Formats: sequence, structure tokens, C-alpha cells
Amino acid sequence: MSWLGRLLSTRADAASLDTALRETLAHWQSLPPADLARTHHETRYVVLNTEATGLNIDKDRPLAVGAIAIDSGVLAARESLYVRLQPDAPTALADVLAFAGRAPIVVYSASLNRTLIERALAEQLGIAPDWTWIDLYWLLPRLFPERIGRPARLADWMQSFGIETFQRHHAFGDAYAIAQLLLALQARALRRGFATPQSLAELEQRVLRSPAAR
Amino acid sequence: MTPTAPEMLTGASADFLRRFAPFDRMEAPALAFLAEHLQLVFHPSGAEILTPEMGAPTHFYIIQRGKVLARQTGSTSVMEYSTIPLGPGECFPIGAISAQRASTNAYVVVEDSFVYQLAAEDFRRLLEMSPIFHLFCTQYIASLLNQSRRQLQTAFSQRAAEQQTMTTSLGKLIKREPVFVTPEASTREALEKMAEKRVGCMVILDDEHRPLGVLTQSDLLPRIVLPGLDLSQSVVDVMTPGPHTMSVNASAYDAVLEMATHGVRHLMVVDTHGRLKGVVSERDLFSLQRTSLRQIRASIEGAGDIEALQRASRDIRELALNLVAQGVGAEQLTQFISALNDALTRRIIDIELDRHGLHDAQYAWLAFGSEGRHEQTLSTDQDNGLIYVCPDPARKDPLKLQLLAFAKDVNESLAACGFPLCKGNIMASNPELCLTFDEWKRRFAAWISEPDPQALLNASIFFDFRVLSGDERLGESLRTWLNATAKRNATFQRLMAMNALQVAPPLGLIRDFVLDDDGTIDLKKAGARLFVDVARILALRAEVSSSSTVQRLRQAGTKMGMATEELAAMTDGFHFIQLLRLRSQHLDTEHDSAGDNKVRPDQLNELDRRILKEAFRQARKLQLRLKLDYQI
Repeated sequence: MSWLGRLLSTRADAASLDTALRETLAHWQSLPPADLARTHHETRYVVLNTEATGLNIDKDRPLAVGAIAIDSGVLAARESLYVRLQPDAPTALADVLAFAGRAPIVVYSASLNRTLIERALAEQLGIAPDWTWIDLYWLLPRLFPERIGRPARLADWMQSFGIETFQRHHAFGDAYAIAQLLLALQARALRRGFATPQSLAELEQRVLRSPAAR
Repeated sequence: MTPTAPEMLTGASADFLRRFAPFDRMEAPALAFLAEHLQLVFHPSGAEILTPEMGAPTHFYIIQRGKVLARQTGSTSVMEYSTIPLGPGECFPIGAISAQRASTNAYVVVEDSFVYQLAAEDFRRLLEMSPIFHLFCTQYIASLLNQSRRQLQTAFSQRAAEQQTMTTSLGKLIKREPVFVTPEASTREALEKMAEKRVGCMVILDDEHRPLGVLTQSDLLPRIVLPGLDLSQSVVDVMTPGPHTMSVNASAYDAVLEMATHGVRHLMVVDTHGRLKGVVSERDLFSLQRTSLRQIRASIEGAGDIEALQRASRDIRELALNLVAQGVGAEQLTQFISALNDALTRRIIDIELDRHGLHDAQYAWLAFGSEGRHEQTLSTDQDNGLIYVCPDPARKDPLKLQLLAFAKDVNESLAACGFPLCKGNIMASNPELCLTFDEWKRRFAAWISEPDPQALLNASIFFDFRVLSGDERLGESLRTWLNATAKRNATFQRLMAMNALQVAPPLGLIRDFVLDDDGTIDLKKAGARLFVDVARILALRAEVSSSSTVQRLRQAGTKMGMATEELAAMTDGFHFIQLLRLRSQHLDTEHDSAGDNKVRPDQLNELDRRILKEAFRQARKLQLRLKLDYQI
């Protein structure tokens, strides 16, 4: 099943959610889609990062989600969210949905994070958001080849930039590191002519199609 | 409960900040406020974070990681550095954002940098919230003050060196019109004129004003007295013909050489046509070597007449210039000037007391206004008065008349020594200002109980009194009584405060400074006086006996719980304004216009402008304090 081809859909069990959650979903659905042709400095990106039960994508479920917005190139403390999925996964995920809105979503390693988040949203809220996903795992080596010329671990990029975080391997602690990487990446991308979320997403596709990525 | 995401990010920022001064000492709520309001931004190498062209900064920046270069812009370097690299934990701009004006530095990223930014309004809230941060910023500004002072000193050393240098042309060393006679004069006429004009050297000029010869004091004994010369004989018979002449353009060094070579003490300075322009003596050249404080002191105390004191008064001015060149700050400088002027005035008073036979009188000579505050600059009018005691009512009127006559002579002698007569007649020779102790008390009490505008103006002049000569106890009692009386009268204090707040510091919202119509700022009216007026009120309230503004601020401020550092920043601001006043007065004396306290900010260098602005901000803080205290 193609992730990109997914459209917004509601499942029958959405009706079983309580009123507050239904309102959150309805509000989310009413939001206009993000304008991906605006520059980074006119865009609100949302970094999402998960903490999972393990590393087996097929079996694992997210335990917590960390989210940090980078709005107009600025990271502000109040624009952040951390939720644990226990005990109330639907409410936690609705909070994530409300926080992210329809902003372009930035992750480090989509194969893990995007899969976990989308699956959880589908299972718990019966929703499949049409977010634009941007994966720093691929974009960082493409835009900073002088630092590390191939996809690398988050720790390597943090070390390369001297980025610190308050807690590693924590959904939110790592989200903070990823958000800082995004700040640096935006500046570099702008200089390389990739000034918009759209151009970043396209660049990522080019990287993914290149022989090196296979 | 687990912390929320914003709390975790705020905590991370706070942890980072705590590694650096001044944040490591910052009060917990202030640090929390700061961490909460910080935004993290990335600036790639080569980016300009802030430049003067961007206008007043919108943010205050703290470097989290990377390196930023602060670079001076403009052609002239006003600081001791031209670039400073800034690293993690360092912040900028401090002066510009405090003063809400464009930065003078450009901040350029030299290594990819993560930089925290704090919105300007949050910066100001932080300043209000955190005494530690406030102190950090004031100390930073104080270090600018120091730099400016050092720079000022350099300017003065150059100036002093210029004045002292032996390359000064003789034309500039001539101090008076030449004293001369024509060849037709008798020896008697020549000697009488020498005595009358108090010169040691008489020149004999021909019809075209060319020197024919000289007659000096040292010629008197061998040529006139011992031979028993007939004084009706022509002066030509006793003069030394063919005196040594030098061009007005020759240097002091040339003159010293000429004197040493020919063993003469006087040189005729002539123009290109050989006409006499003046006489330069050995002493004139030696006076290029500075007169010391001690010498001036000694010459004042030994002076027997006004002329000697006039010379001393000129020396005081020269010394003042020299002291600035040596790096003496405004506070010490004004104290020196004040001490010497006091000594001069006391000497004049002693001479006149003698002449008027008033040695037994119980009196005190009072100095008011800036002289009373020990803050005389070099163009201060006289402001003085007398307190006297007369137990016998029958003798009061004659004594007063005698004192007034004495005071009049003192006033005139002071004027002759360069202290202009007071246009407003605030002088001891004014019968209204020559009063008994009880009369002064009644006068002051009336101003305090009925503080109309004139009374308030009077208070601002007279309450800064100090005993300069005579019985100091009279002044002390008056001060104690005055402080106690004024302290009790809240209405009076409040009106004084309102009066003090009438002039705001000339700081603009849009432009740096608010200028007078002629493009200047009056450093007295719109500068020094703001500090002086507030200090006076604080002193009355805190019952501080000193009349000096700085002492008043320090003593009253301390009593009222103001932080030492805050007070230091305020007094620094005051001193800086005083130093600028002294400087403009010194430089002005060259073209003979008395220092008029005017400064053109556009003619100040960048650093002085910045410091001046900070000084005005300190004045604003003081005024704010008064506003809050009296709820005005």
C-alpha cells in the first residue's frame, strides 16, 4: 500500500470516540492544507519523534511522541509537545494531531517514525493525515556532504554539529536534537536553492531514487 | 508529575545558561523567565546577525554554539579593539538594546552558530526583574565609560603635549602687549614705566616700532644706581643696544637655544618687518614646564596682592588641563579645582579682612550653587553669601555695613581673578545675602513652608551651601536645622521633586538625542543638573550633610538601600557629563569663548556619544526613582 497515495479517511470506529476527540479530529480536517511553496521563514514545520517498544516495525507500538515546531526558522520552548500513549492513546494522539496541524512533518528516519505514527493514528483515531513528510536521515548527507557523506546515525550528526540534548533515546530529547538539525538544514538548504518545504520533499525523493540510496 | 515539553526545553536552556556568567548567578525566577522566552535560531557562517543599518535591535542574542565576530563599523575605531570574537554563553548587543538605538558594531557569524534570541521587550522585562542581570549590563556600560575616559585622557595628553611642546611658536607665547619707550624718553621715565607696568624689561623702540635696545632690572644696579646716574639722561645712554630679536614664527626651542647661547634673559619677538610684537622672557619659557599643585598652593598662600592671585588663577586653569592629561577623572579634577579655588578665595578673604579690620567678626563665608557642591568647572559665576553673629543689637547695623563693604571688595577681587560677578546678584555684598544665623533660618523656613516657584529655585541654589571661610560651626548648625526642617515637610519635598522632574534627559525615542534648536545639548541644564537636583532632594530626605552631588548620591542612596553598583553607575554617568563639560570649557578657552556647556552630539566621537547616552539614561533612572518615591 502506497503511503503517499493515502487520502484522508475516517473509519467507522471513529464514531465510538468521545466528543472532545471528535471535535479535535473535525477541527483538524477543517484546516487548510499547508502552502508548501512558501519559504522556510514563512513555514511552520513540526518535528515528530517517537519512542517505541523496540525496533521491530511490524510488531512495535509507539510509547511516546515528542513534537517541536520550528516556526519561521525559530525554535521556541512553548511550541513543543510530549505525550505518552499510556494510558490514553487516543487523547495523546489527538494532541499530537492538534499540535502538528497540517504542517510539513520532519522526522529522523521515516521508515521507523512515520510507520509507527501513521499506524497508531489509524488504529486509535481512524485517521490517515495527508502530511508532507521530510526525512532528515536522507537530507542531511545530501546537504552537508562535507560533514558526513552518507546516511548516518543521529548521534553522528549531533556530534558533527556539536548539538546537545537533555536526554538521548527519549522521544522528546531526540526531537530536540532533530529540531536543531532542522534549523541548520534550513539555512543550508536556502543557500542551495531549496527554499521551500516542497523543494525539500522533492530533493528527498531525488535522493531516494538515486543509486546510492538503494 | 512528568515535566511538560516546554518545561523540558526551558530546563535545557536554563542548564545551558547556568554554565555562564551572569546567568550562573541569576535569580531563579529571572532565569526561568529568560529560558522560557528564549528562541533558538541558526545562523550560518557569513551571516550578519545584527548591523547598524538594521536600526534599533529587535532581539538580544546569546550564543549557544559557534562563533560570532563583533566588528566595529565606520572609518574611525572608537574602541581599543576593532573586532572581538564571541563564543558560547556570550551575549550582544548590550548598550544598543538598552538604549534602543542602532548597534555600532556589526555582528557577523564566522562559524555556523546556534544563537538564542530574546525579544527586546522581554530583555527590558528581564532587566527590571533581575538585579543581577541589571548589574551585569550596567557594569558592561561602566566598562565603556572607563574606555571613554581613557580615550579622553589620550586626547588631553595630546593637547597638553601640544601646549607644552617646545615647538610652540613664540608668537603664541607672548602674554602681553610690549612695554616700551621711544629714544626721546629719559631714564626716569623709562624706570617709572617699568615700575608702573611691573615689567622687568623695558624696550626702546624707534619710530617704526623696531627695537633699538633694552633696559632690564639687572642693569639697574651696575648702570644707574652705583654710578649715580642722572635720571634725566636719555634712556639710550643706559640701554643695551642691539637686543636679540627672533621671529614670531621661531619656536620656543629656538628661543631657549638663543638665550643659552648669548646668556640673555629676554628676547624681542618681531614680525617680518622687524617690528616688536612682544617680549619673551626666560621665565615664560620655563613656565612651559608645568606648575605643580604644590607650587600653586604656595603661591596662593604667599600672595600679597590681587595680581599674584590672578597669576595663580591662570595657573589653576593650566593645572586643570594638565591633570586631565595625567588621567585624573572628573571627580578628583573638580576636587582639585575646588580646593585651589577655595584656597584662592580664602586668601582674598584674608587680605580683605585685614584691610577692613574685621578679624574679630564671627562670620562664615558661604559658597552656593556649584561652588557649594565642590563642582566648579572653569566658567562658574560667583555664588556666595555671609552668615554673621552679632549678640549686641545696637552694633548689628554698623557691623553689617562693614561686612557688606568687605564683601564687595572680595566679590570684586574674585571677579579680577576670573570668577565673574553673579548676574543674579547672588553675592555676599548683596544685603539680602549677608544675614545673621536667625535671618538665614527664617529665610530658609519661608521657602520650605511656602514653596512657590521662586522659593524652589532659591532652594536649589542656596541649599547647596558650604562654609568656605570663617566659622564652620555656623554652617553645620544651619545644615542640621535645614535637613531636619525639610525632612519634616513632605509637601516641600514633593514640590522640589516635581521641580527636579521638569527637565527630562534629552533622550529621543526616534533619534539618539533631543537637541536644542541650535543642534546642541546643554550639558548643564539638561545633563548635570538632573543629577544635582535629584541628589539634593535625596540628601534632604536622608539627612545627608554633604553638599556635593556625588557624596549626596552615595550617602543618601546607601541609606535608602540602593545597590552600590547602581549608585556607581549613576555617579559615573554624572562624572562623565562633568568631564565633557570641562573638556568643552578647556578647548574653548583657546578661542576665548567661555565654556558654555554646549555639546554637539554629532561632533562627539561614536563612543562618547554612546556613553553620553548611557549617562542620560542614568539620569532618567534617578528621575524615575524620584517619580516613584513621590508618586509624581
